[in-house]
Amino acid sequence: MRRLRLAIAGLTACSGCQLLLLNCEDELPELLEQFEFHFFPLACSPALLEGEYDAALVEGCISMPHEKELLLELRRRSVYLIALGTCAVWGGVAALRNGESRELLRQQVYGQSPVASETFEPLPLQSVVHVDAVVAGCPPEKEELLRLLADLARGVLPVDIDYSVCAECRMKENLCLLTERDTLCLGPLTLGGCGARCPNMSVPCEGCRGPVPECNLHKALEIYEQKGFDRTTVLARLRRFCPGWKL
Amino acid sequence: MATLFIAQHNLEAMLERLRRKAEVHGPVRGEDGVVRFAELIHGILPDLSAIRTLLPPKKYLLHPRETILKYTSEAGYQLPSESVPPLILFGLHPCDLAGINYLDRIFLGEDPDPLYAARRSALTLIGVSCTPDEFCSCHLYPSPLKALSDLFLNSVKGGFAISSGSPRGEELLEVLKDIVEERDINVPEDTRRFFGHAVSAQVRPELDATLPEWQELADACLGCGACSLCCPTCSCFDVLEFGGLDGRSAVRVRQWDNCLFKCHAEVAGGMSFRKNRAERFRYRYRHKYRGFGPLQGIPACVGCGRCRVVCPAGLDLRPLAARLEEITP
Repeated sequence: MRRLRLAIAGLTACSGCQLLLLNCEDELPELLEQFEFHFFPLACSPALLEGEYDAALVEGCISMPHEKELLLELRRRSVYLIALGTCAVWGGVAALRNGESRELLRQQVYGQSPVASETFEPLPLQSVVHVDAVVAGCPPEKEELLRLLADLARGVLPVDIDYSVCAECRMKENLCLLTERDTLCLGPLTLGGCGARCPNMSVPCEGCRGPVPECNLHKALEIYEQKGFDRTTVLARLRRFCPGWKL
Repeated sequence: MATLFIAQHNLEAMLERLRRKAEVHGPVRGEDGVVRFAELIHGILPDLSAIRTLLPPKKYLLHPRETILKYTSEAGYQLPSESVPPLILFGLHPCDLAGINYLDRIFLGEDPDPLYAARRSALTLIGVSCTPDEFCSCHLYPSPLKALSDLFLNSVKGGFAISSGSPRGEELLEVLKDIVEERDINVPEDTRRFFGHAVSAQVRPELDATLPEWQELADACLGCGACSLCCPTCSCFDVLEFGGLDGRSAVRVRQWDNCLFKCHAEVAGGMSFRKNRAERFRYRYRHKYRGFGPLQGIPACVGCGRCRVVCPAGLDLRPLAARLEEITP
């Protein structure tokens, strides 16, 4: 059987999502049987784009011209392009200050010293290219990544998740941090799939996986407000991972 | 009237004897205050004052997420081999017993579910009477579901009046005979009286799709799924198949689903039978209060109140049911 040819690329992000793949130590030998990691600069050098790919897994958002070029190049060469992690799907932490003056931000970070590269407002992948599938999370769960790869090996794309963090949290029979502890738990608005990783440890959901389909932001804001969290606070919390949250 | 009686101070001795037969689970209040069905190991007493657990006992019969088939290219699809040791559930309220009765009708009917059937036959059910709180609705309308149990403890002064409901219950009474005595006591009507009423499966007119309440409920719902995940009779599940990395094996999984979720009524091609949440609320209401399919006319709601307790938006279908089903509180 032919091994699937993959490109694993990182744009503006922390490389944590790519690292997730390298952390699958137990599965790596099996993965190498099934996949050729042809372009994977984080793990193997030299890394040169060459020929076509069965799939490109891209971490991070785009904030520099050369990233946009690389993304377009990956799209042109790949059957499937997959957004890996919240930055690639929604913009993520790098897009936290979107909407503010770039000039002002540049001065705050670099002062008067010249900055070598041109940057622009960080954007999720889908604002530039067509994305075939997404795996959200900061970082995604290891199981999700392995499932994605197993799906690709079978010639299919992963099934979309339609439930929030609350659903998995209830299945775990956890104490509800929103209704019982009046904390700012973003579980009802956040895409599930993490197995309620934070609420399992009594930590309110931070919303790192971005919005769940059909979420009811309007009603949620009303409930948070009753618990003493005003709209500005809640929206600021939500936008740490997904700048697209709007009223 | 002569009745079998077990004193409150013999509860621990009773559990000790039960543990000799099988693992015993009952309502346990955790350090976080949540009451869950969990193992009653030596020294842990069930919290019989708790009105309800967070998850109902359905979690023992249908696991939130479980493998239902395994595939290999050599052997094809095969049922997972699961050993099901006997388990005693202690302290089930009549609503939860009725909930199990409802699940039995679904999963042990014409085409029994093998996983459910194996787990169900391993279960011994010990019920206990209770006092409904403001969230309960078992007492509001008659249910045809029976609160069947192997043993039932009816709370009386100083202990419990104990009665058997099956040969398995008789066997347990034998195990308990040194701590059970016959007493002449006045036994109050127990809380099972809310169940087991014959309801004529009357044909009702179709629920009006244009009722403004469906949209009002949809607008107030966060879509978190808690209502059905914590419901003792909600048993909708999703079936997913995941391939193995070797490209030659797979597992087929079923996991709890919710009729208010986007993909619940979605079919191939992205079409959906119930595109918006208002339509889904009508569907949910119909199932809970009128039943459908082979269980048409049998309301699926056992009145445990969990959906109301766990809903972050405080949604309550009771006022609507009071009007549409002409229930007089």
